[in-house]
Amino acid sequence: MKKKVALPRYGEYNCAMKYLVEQGFDYECLLPPPLTRRSEELGAKNSPDLVCTPFKTTLGSMIEALEAGADMIIMVYGACRLNYYAELQEQILRDLGYTFDFVNLSLYNTGKKWDLLRAVKAINPDASVVKVGRTLLEAAKMVEHLDEITARYYQNCGFDPSGAYPKVYQQFLADMYAARSRAEIEEGYLAALQGFDRVPLQKPANPIRVGILGEYYTVMDPFSNLEIERKLADMGVEVHRWMNITSDLLHNEGRKQQAQILDRSAFSMGGNATADLYQAQCFAQQGFDGLVHVKSAGCTPETDVMPVLANLSQDYKIPILYLTYDSQTSDVGLMTRLEAFYDMIEMRKKAIL
Amino acid sequence: MTEKLAFLGIDVGSISTKAVIIDKTRAILAREYIWTEGNPLQAVKKLLSLLAQQFDPQSRQIVGVGVTGSARRLVGAMVGATMVKNEITAHAVGTTSFHPDVRTILEIGGQDSKIILVENGVAIDYAMNTLCAAGTGAFLSSQARRLGIDVEEMGAYALKSEHPTLIAARCTVFAESDLVHKIQMGHPREDIIAGVCRAVASNYINNVAKGKKIVSPVVFQGGVSKNIGVVHAFEDLLQCPIIVDENGHLMGAMGAAILAQRSPKRTAFDFSVRNMEFVTRERNCGGCSNHCEVICVYRDGELVDSWGNRCERGAV
Repeated sequence: MKKKVALPRYGEYNCAMKYLVEQGFDYECLLPPPLTRRSEELGAKNSPDLVCTPFKTTLGSMIEALEAGADMIIMVYGACRLNYYAELQEQILRDLGYTFDFVNLSLYNTGKKWDLLRAVKAINPDASVVKVGRTLLEAAKMVEHLDEITARYYQNCGFDPSGAYPKVYQQFLADMYAARSRAEIEEGYLAALQGFDRVPLQKPANPIRVGILGEYYTVMDPFSNLEIERKLADMGVEVHRWMNITSDLLHNEGRKQQAQILDRSAFSMGGNATADLYQAQCFAQQGFDGLVHVKSAGCTPETDVMPVLANLSQDYKIPILYLTYDSQTSDVGLMTRLEAFYDMIEMRKKAIL
Repeated sequence: MTEKLAFLGIDVGSISTKAVIIDKTRAILAREYIWTEGNPLQAVKKLLSLLAQQFDPQSRQIVGVGVTGSARRLVGAMVGATMVKNEITAHAVGTTSFHPDVRTILEIGGQDSKIILVENGVAIDYAMNTLCAAGTGAFLSSQARRLGIDVEEMGAYALKSEHPTLIAARCTVFAESDLVHKIQMGHPREDIIAGVCRAVASNYINNVAKGKKIVSPVVFQGGVSKNIGVVHAFEDLLQCPIIVDENGHLMGAMGAAILAQRSPKRTAFDFSVRNMEFVTRERNCGGCSNHCEVICVYRDGELVDSWGNRCERGAV
């Protein structure tokens, strides 16, 4: 029987993780159940109180994966406290009494030559490095497609009266989770492109455009941000999000971004602070109607970004809505703020025109 | 007949429920202000009875109803609203219609506080307290109770003080322990009360209004604006005059009525809804482990609306 490997839920990126685990490492990928309030409660109950919400959510997802019979958990690292999360999460899970293999990818982030090779061997000593390498490139391609289709989806789904747009998107996601080869990935991607092309949109010439930015996990995971992109799109907004794995990992332009915002922030403030400010400035220069800044409570880099954003907001006269998420159970407060934000930028747009 | 049209605006907050009826020139025909007392449906029924006494249905017909405030969805379903709007928009619209030249609206209510920046009569930026309810009316009420006075008297006490006690304003919990400490140290009562008012104002400026440029004319509204001590603290901290409108508490209802007027939707409103029986039931959807709490509203036993489900599995 093949080993069951799980990574915590993270937006829809689990489809690419599944592809890599199954096609590259020759394991079975166990998808944790979709995130629900239960995942969050499980995570919050077993986490340090003041740690950020993504720690709690991913821990909850790991517990649900172990309950479903996972043999191995893999956890990633990042540019902030996330680097230490895997170690702590493993300890918490062991204290809870679970037996499992754990791969902490942050151990292979030393900057040395053989990092990638050692990580591959830690996951599966028998894996063919060539095969993993090739699958990794294919999984990266899937991520690029996913980000492109997702971006197109939220930029347009608010202007589709027929309701066909969500169906195309859901089918695309199903295709990606089922894909077993490069050809199947490309097939699903082309089907989605053609599917979107067939849907007649009713979009005004100058639609309301809102840019979403903020903390890495919360901004990309619809469960964690209470589906902010869909909520805004449903009001008839073109929703743009620069931050995704494609922009940030696969085609990162870190130095170039830093150079563009040097007069606002002379050095990197950790996490994806630089990228955040860079994208905020791009959105502002492109004449967006508003920005929404999303973060989990206790996120230090994003807290540091806020005063710089406030200056940017004044200089470019662009309204910014700041949202802080904790383990919330109701989205009533969020709806009030989003509706008010929408009303404001809509009335403002009319007054300017 | 068109000159005889009227519009009803209702603002159902956590603490108080307000309503106005306006004609199409936005002149107020009837107004009322009562406590919500934890029962928004009952409060609105009472409110409608009071309004019906001030309003002559023979001479005018209410053709649009706007509802705002935290119970807007529930009350909107009850009265058959033509416009249900969030309180931030409603306040901005209401205030700018009374004060067309306003640039900054400060608002402190029972459990939330917000700031709205206005340019040329249009809101251009706003902020609202998010995770923390520090420095709102609820804090003032609990401190008044601790000091054994009515919250309404606080302002008058505060004015008597010449040296307001310094009270840490960063967080309500810390402010409270600081306050207890200062009481036990023997600080005069009026100085403490003036200190509390100042703490509310500086907490607001440091948290809600952080990073926002406050430009005169400044209008201050919400329940806390009735506290002259807080008004003075704001004038002192911002170094500009603060306008408190006598109709400040009605701005949300006013905005709701104006938004109902602007909307093309029209239905004849009948005061008889106050005699109907409204029941709400909560149902837990078992479709997945989200366990959405779905609220169903029944009018005389018939389902009129439901909400709270995150997906179609929870639809009623």
